[in-house]
Amino acid sequence: MAKLRLSGLNAVQRQSLVISLTAFFTGLLLIALISVLVLITARGGAYFWPKPIYSVALTHISPPALATDQVLPKEAASKETTPRETEQVVTLLANVFDDEAKSEIRLKYADALNPYGAQLLVERERIKRIDLAKNSAEIKLNDGRQVMAVPENVVTPEGANIPLAKLPQIMESVALISDEITKLNKQFLAPIHESLSRFDNRDVAADAPAREKLVAQFNEYQQRVRSLETQRDQYKLAVSFAEGQPFSIPIFTIQSVDFVSRLTGFEKWQVAIGEVFVFLTESPKQANTSGGVFPALFGTVLMVFIMTIIVTPFGVMAAIYLSEYAPNTALTTIIRVSVSNMAGVPSIVYGVFGLGFFVYTLGGSIDSLFFSDTLPAPTMGSPGIFWAALTMAILTLPVVIVATEEGLRRVPEGLKAGSYALGATKIETIVRTILPIASPGIMTGVILAIARAAGEVAPLMLVGAVKFAPALPIDGEFPFLHLDRQFMHLGVLIYDSAFHSQTDAKSASMMFAACLLLLVVVFVLNILAVLLRTRLRKRYLKG
Amino acid sequence: MLKLFKHNIQPVSELSSAQTAVEVNALNLWFGDKHVLKDITMRIPKNKVTALIGQSGCGKSTLINCFNRLNDLYDGCQYKGEVIIDGKNINSKKTNVSRLRAKVGMVFQRPNPFPMSIYENVCYGLKLQGVRERRNLDDAVESALKQAALWDEVKDRLFEPAMTLSGGQQQRLVIARALSLKPEVLLLDEPTSALDPLTTLFIEELMESLKKQCTIVIVTHNMQQAARVSDYTAFFHQGKLVEYADSDTLFTMPEKKQTEDYITGRYG
Ligand SMILES: Nc1ncnc2c1ncn2[C@@H]1O[C@H](COP(=O)(O)OP(=O)(O)OP(=O)(O)O)[C@@H](O)[C@H]1O
Ligand SMILES: [Mg+2]
Repeated sequence: MAKLRLSGLNAVQRQSLVISLTAFFTGLLLIALISVLVLITARGGAYFWPKPIYSVALTHISPPALATDQVLPKEAASKETTPRETEQVVTLLANVFDDEAKSEIRLKYADALNPYGAQLLVERERIKRIDLAKNSAEIKLNDGRQVMAVPENVVTPEGANIPLAKLPQIMESVALISDEITKLNKQFLAPIHESLSRFDNRDVAADAPAREKLVAQFNEYQQRVRSLETQRDQYKLAVSFAEGQPFSIPIFTIQSVDFVSRLTGFEKWQVAIGEVFVFLTESPKQANTSGGVFPALFGTVLMVFIMTIIVTPFGVMAAIYLSEYAPNTALTTIIRVSVSNMAGVPSIVYGVFGLGFFVYTLGGSIDSLFFSDTLPAPTMGSPGIFWAALTMAILTLPVVIVATEEGLRRVPEGLKAGSYALGATKIETIVRTILPIASPGIMTGVILAIARAAGEVAPLMLVGAVKFAPALPIDGEFPFLHLDRQFMHLGVLIYDSAFHSQTDAKSASMMFAACLLLLVVVFVLNILAVLLRTRLRKRYLKG
Repeated sequence: MLKLFKHNIQPVSELSSAQTAVEVNALNLWFGDKHVLKDITMRIPKNKVTALIGQSGCGKSTLINCFNRLNDLYDGCQYKGEVIIDGKNINSKKTNVSRLRAKVGMVFQRPNPFPMSIYENVCYGLKLQGVRERRNLDDAVESALKQAALWDEVKDRLFEPAMTLSGGQQQRLVIARALSLKPEVLLLDEPTSALDPLTTLFIEELMESLKKQCTIVIVTHNMQQAARVSDYTAFFHQGKLVEYADSDTLFTMPEKKQTEDYITGRYG
């Protein structure tokens, strides 16, 4: 059919038809790309942008069933319960989000029952009033939770009510007390405790004078710490929720108080930048729903880095063998084809391979050879960052090999001949002439490998990436780089927050923020590699 | 004018072993099933310029590649017969090919400088030979570039990429690169085919002056050039050596009809 109709067109028409068709599909592709970028950037950026707090009045059915994270079933709300019987207006302080369903809005609210916030999906007709709550603030706590409430005043240990304006000073002096406590703990209590336990180990009698003196000292310092702690705990911030219900928050647990509803544009930027900073430098809190993603960022970059160190030499050597040394036989062709096809093997297969071979077999043997004194607790025989990097290296090896071979093939025969003609051996020619010229091609492979490894999730979850790792793979403890440790990875974090996101809008936007960060990481790594490649190109390929 | 220097030309048949730089004995070469060189026997005289002429595809490049065993690079290339340089058959298994190639320099049809600095290009061979001292390298680079008449043009930009040179300069650079190793034999495969007449003249004069230190074998499609620069000329046709004589004789009174037709451009 199509042929018939096409043959009715003249050559110019046919050509312009082809052009417009191809242009159409290119346009579609562009639109898809741009919408991915826009969506991730907008939703991710929204995570950092301070959201105003509203006081929302809504008719509420069957109190007091507003439990944490409860989403009211729609039918139940509209049909079975007759509104007249139990109808009642409640007022909440809330962030307001548009829901996908146009007839509903999503509230992230706080009230006396849920001071640390909960979620609610409400039909629009049940909303009576929405006002900007100018006096309310977002109070972030050190543990990652937050309270939306109207700060009233500051309460001191003496019971005095101090106006809010003094809050910054008071927070400072409370911080001083906290520092003092930490200092006492570190400088006195810990050493004394240590010497005491040394006495215990040596079986010194409980009433030996030296020991008694220490115990007395210990008690004295402990007393001081206790009294400081009580003093600290008694500084409180009195707040109230929308209907005036009082609540108080110990000041030492407060990280920041932002009056998000009356920020000027500039202050919003300040808050947002502060949020970005926290996001980049802190650990996740509250099961990856708030706080930062630093360990995941660090783990991702470190894993990619180790992988690059492993995959580059392996891939380059293999490519050199295949293109320079391997005899031109059917076997070589088969190997070459399987290498390219390996790039298409599902990544989870590599994950299973990594777990089965690297972790259990290889790691197990290393344990029984070198770490037999700690067995049965595994050292290398459990998932960890090194095995993850190695698995990703295997996964990305084909990419590097194929790109390197392509680069090697592009080296002009004349240059090789020139090198041989000057008495260079094959290996000298490869090292001095072929590799430098092929280096941009090699970099292309490495770039692709980096992008692939940074974004992979499934295989990583099998071989070492975890939702939460207690320690970074690099720290101040010998041997500084702990290749056997499990690590956090941005992709895994995104995957994990995607599960929370069904019930928590905040976590959903954390997912988008982490996703944005992952994009930025891949982008930055790529840019670096591209810059390096451009330099190599300039250096070696300038015509 | 150049003919003035050609007074002591001996007929090829009378060359003694001592006067011979490369001796080819019954050399046959195949690329796969293709018989490319057929039973070539010739003596290339020392400190003379020998031109190889013949139709495209007749095997000239293949023959000079036999003098530094560059044909080894190609799969499916097989050869039989002797090529004797310095009294040794280089086709024997015992030959140190690297050392042979350092002794027999080669310049290709297209300039092929390495993507490195001018200086690095000229040092390439020396470094391979294990010369490391900066001073020796500096001296060698300078003298090689001077021999190739390139020194004055590049002495202020030795560390710039060689790719920034013009085509003619690049060709002289690769000549300098070959000369840096002080070769006994210099093989030039159509060295001027991509160059303008002036640079060509330059390189031709260069050959004349290099004759004192090494034997030159040049492949060319340009009859005038062959007549101008060479002392001896060999004409090949389809892998066979048709006629080989001193250039005066070959170009003025060729023995064979085939040769005459070729040099007068009557077929091709
Ligand atoms: N690497 C190779 N593999 C297969 N055949 C080759 C190879 N190199 C040359 N040949 C063949 O050998 C024959 C001689 O080639 P050669 O390059 O020596 O010719 P030439 O005389 O130098 O020609 P030109 O004047 O065009 O350079 C040609 O028929 C060519 O097809
Ligand atoms: Mg040729």
